[in-house]
Amino acid sequence: MQHEDKTHHDNIEIPKDLTIPKLFYQQVQNFGKDRVAMREKEFGIWRPITWNDYLKNVKYLALGLISLGLEEGDKVSMIGDNRPEGLWAEMATLCARGVGVWLFQDCLIDEVRYIIDHSDTKFLFGEGQEEVDKAISIFNECPKLEKVIWDDPKGMRNYDESYLISLKEVQQLGRELENEQPNLFEEMINKGHGEEVALLFYTSGTTALPKGALLTHHNMLSMGQHLMQVDPCHETDDYVSYLPFAWIGEQMMSISCGIQVGYTLNFPEEPETAQENIREIGPHVMFAPPRLYEQMTRTVQVKYLDATWIKRKFYEFSTWIGYKVANLKFEKKPVLWYWQFLEWLAYVMVQKKLKDHLGLSRVRNAYTGGAAMGPDHFRFFHALGVNLKQIYGQTEVAGISVVHRDGDIKFDTVGHPIPGTEVEIVEDGEIITRSPSVFLGYYKNPEATEKTLQNGWLYSGDKGFIDDDGHLVVFDRTKDVFTLKDGKPFAPQYLETRLKFSPYIKDSWVIGDERDYISAVLCIDYSVVGKWADEKKINYTSYQELSQMAEVYDLVEKQIRQANRDLPDVAKVVKFTNLYKELDPDDDELTRTRKLRRAFVEKRYEEIVDALYSDQDAVHIDTTIKYEDGREQRIKIDLRIREVKM
Amino acid sequence: MSTTWLPCGTYHQSYVKDHGWWQTSFVYGKMTLLVIVLFIIIPVFCGDYLLSIAYKIGYTILAALGVQLLIGYCGQITLGHAAFVAVGSYTSAMLILYVPWPNFLFSAGLVYPISMIAAGFAAGLWSVLFGLPSARVKGFYLIMTTMAAQWITVPLVITQYVSRIGGRGHYFSLPPGTISIGPWAIDSDRKIYYLMIVLVCLCLLAMANLLRSRVGRAWIAIRDNDIAAETLGVNIVWYKLVAFFVAGFIAGIAGSFWISALYFVSPEHFEFFYSLWWVGVILIGGVGSLHGVVFGAMFMVLVEEILRNGLVAMGGWMPELMLVGKFDYFRDSAFGLAIILFLIYEPNGISYRYWQIKNYFNLWPFSY
Repeated sequence: MQHEDKTHHDNIEIPKDLTIPKLFYQQVQNFGKDRVAMREKEFGIWRPITWNDYLKNVKYLALGLISLGLEEGDKVSMIGDNRPEGLWAEMATLCARGVGVWLFQDCLIDEVRYIIDHSDTKFLFGEGQEEVDKAISIFNECPKLEKVIWDDPKGMRNYDESYLISLKEVQQLGRELENEQPNLFEEMINKGHGEEVALLFYTSGTTALPKGALLTHHNMLSMGQHLMQVDPCHETDDYVSYLPFAWIGEQMMSISCGIQVGYTLNFPEEPETAQENIREIGPHVMFAPPRLYEQMTRTVQVKYLDATWIKRKFYEFSTWIGYKVANLKFEKKPVLWYWQFLEWLAYVMVQKKLKDHLGLSRVRNAYTGGAAMGPDHFRFFHALGVNLKQIYGQTEVAGISVVHRDGDIKFDTVGHPIPGTEVEIVEDGEIITRSPSVFLGYYKNPEATEKTLQNGWLYSGDKGFIDDDGHLVVFDRTKDVFTLKDGKPFAPQYLETRLKFSPYIKDSWVIGDERDYISAVLCIDYSVVGKWADEKKINYTSYQELSQMAEVYDLVEKQIRQANRDLPDVAKVVKFTNLYKELDPDDDELTRTRKLRRAFVEKRYEEIVDALYSDQDAVHIDTTIKYEDGREQRIKIDLRIREVKM
Repeated sequence: MSTTWLPCGTYHQSYVKDHGWWQTSFVYGKMTLLVIVLFIIIPVFCGDYLLSIAYKIGYTILAALGVQLLIGYCGQITLGHAAFVAVGSYTSAMLILYVPWPNFLFSAGLVYPISMIAAGFAAGLWSVLFGLPSARVKGFYLIMTTMAAQWITVPLVITQYVSRIGGRGHYFSLPPGTISIGPWAIDSDRKIYYLMIVLVCLCLLAMANLLRSRVGRAWIAIRDNDIAAETLGVNIVWYKLVAFFVAGFIAGIAGSFWISALYFVSPEHFEFFYSLWWVGVILIGGVGSLHGVVFGAMFMVLVEEILRNGLVAMGGWMPELMLVGKFDYFRDSAFGLAIILFLIYEPNGISYRYWQIKNYFNLWPFSY
């Protein structure tokens, strides 16, 4: 079975020798000083950086790196929040023909060491003191690391390690080099070729150590171009860059698409203010993993519960209309004039304002990907009138390969392949992809490369099928698919996302592969359930205590019954327990992109799993947990186990 | 400003834009509508009686604006504002009556405008004189010194000395035609209304602008915590005196405007009661808000008018109510009652209620 989109084939392809720096240089010639390349919110205003400023910073930084000894193919790592300097560092690395490596801002020290060492990083860009401290503590263990470059001077006065150098000093070195060789920068850019490696991307991996995917300039650019063919963006658009650059989705939007279209990237003031800053900017295009949309949904649901009676009624009425109309559209039925009128009414009454609160007023296309999103969440956004689309992709195709098209959205699929991309299903149901964006292989890992790349096809490790309309349906990770009691395959993510639609449940983990029934381990949302408990005058002192209260169990049980509705009996959650802590990437329970590491948690919480499949009504836990600041705490607690009344 | 609610997609690349007044098209529309109502609809469609109420509101706004500045923005409680309005009125009237202006100024209609500006300066300087103690005293003691301004200025200086100039008794009446601006003699309610609305708009705009400047920030800092403000390098004595000057200046303008509506001046228009009345205006309207001045003035004047009409209507079967002076008792008790009720039920004034209503819709469909 093969599916390919034929409509866009006459479009100009990206020439093989085009590189990201070449395109960047062209765009600077196009836009110059008149257009804003990026903005950063600082001290309350959005400071603009024009394309000329962008070029100047990148140029001196690139020359500075060369003067420090960067050679072709050397790796340069970057860590820090989203900010212009981070992107300059990446672009400078590419211009100087190095290879960029991004690390997650919240990576623990072991992960940093592993990646820096494994990637043979020569220079490390850190934002400020925090990153410099990390770098210092691993410097001796990473022999290939030569210099650590920082840009935020706060707290840096007393550091005198010889390998530390500030971004400004590097740029000064670059200026000096320019005086000696005035055309070096342009020559470097012209020497580049699209088939060269641009980025080394470490995948978060739900199972093993991170693997480094080698992506070329051509991978990145063709990826961006193909996505832009489906949903064109304009140079006047605004985009907010706040998700980690170490996530391929952000690279795709900021670099692959951003450089091609030339839209303005906006960097929030602080990660904590991102939501508010998004609202100020009102981006035209958004790409975020489901958890951010889930967070938005939860915010809306909680605020709705706290609103006054009249406001609640207005909200209920317009949401009812929204769902009706969205369902008609999903079913591709005509929306009759009176529904259109009601839709308009709902828009004027509530949705316009609601979208304004969420910062979605100007969104033309909102994408979600990176993990599964529940149909409930999906319908919620469409009922609001937000054009939310599922995408499917992975780091190994430099971003995405499959996306919904306008007006052809099904909430349980991920849509059609983008132009230039072939997607097939092999016999055992695995999804395989072929496109110009498929990566070169894993860095220093030929076995994994061989397993993933076969005859130019990328083996994703995901199970799925193509439905009657040609939409790709991604079932789950191959190893995560359950076999139910009746022998049918079942995707636990489906149930997990359904459970997460409740505002009270933050994370869920469903168990039941080849077992008699399905059970769930849930993490309550501390702030929402805490508020609920406050209103009910229930006293609690900590997450642990709150999670084990009988009233909270009643509340959670109600949420599960809601999620169980319309499911076949074998797929219903029968038993559940509330975990005494939230699942956390720092404990290796989730990946950095917040995907559940199923095998790991099953091992870690073995006693809970065992208890869920026995007659016990409680399980005693005696363990130590690790806090973000490194403290450890011993925990002794009895977790209740509750059976859901049908 | 960042504290105001802005729709999604409104952002600023410079501080100038960030502090702009009219940042969205909605505000533009709203203000255009307001201008049309104030400058066209009200003067064209309202009769003389309604216009007279309107310019009384305007006068109250102008007079209370200085009180708002001193109490609401600079934290300097004043109970002698009528004195400065009186200084403005008398300065203006005397300049018109007693100065031998060259004829061309009279025929060009410049005398009244010149006297108005002079009235502003005179009242401003007079106010600074009584503001000097604020360098040393605050709170209750400052109230006493500002009351001293009232008692020294109106009953003593004006009644005993100034009013005797020219031997006309207590009244300085202004012959028709002496109050004219350019070619327009201010001789009808409609013209008074136009003069009022222009002055009110100018003064409100000037105040709003001052408040977002360095001076305004210094005032607010002094109000919030004078010791902290001084620690941060704000010259509090200087800025307090500037506040007294500006408050006095606007009071002078108010006083000078009021003679155009009265055609005469006499001390009884500037009694201590008015000083209290204007403090009441800002208490009811909302302390620390320019909207509050407007809302408070509208509330007070309209309540007074409704009360007056109510009494007149009741006069048919209770004739003793119509006796001279009875109305004042009713008005004063209603005024007192209104302040008590506001302090209990709406201590932040009408402007807070206005803000809440705006917020109700800004937060729609949520409550926070």
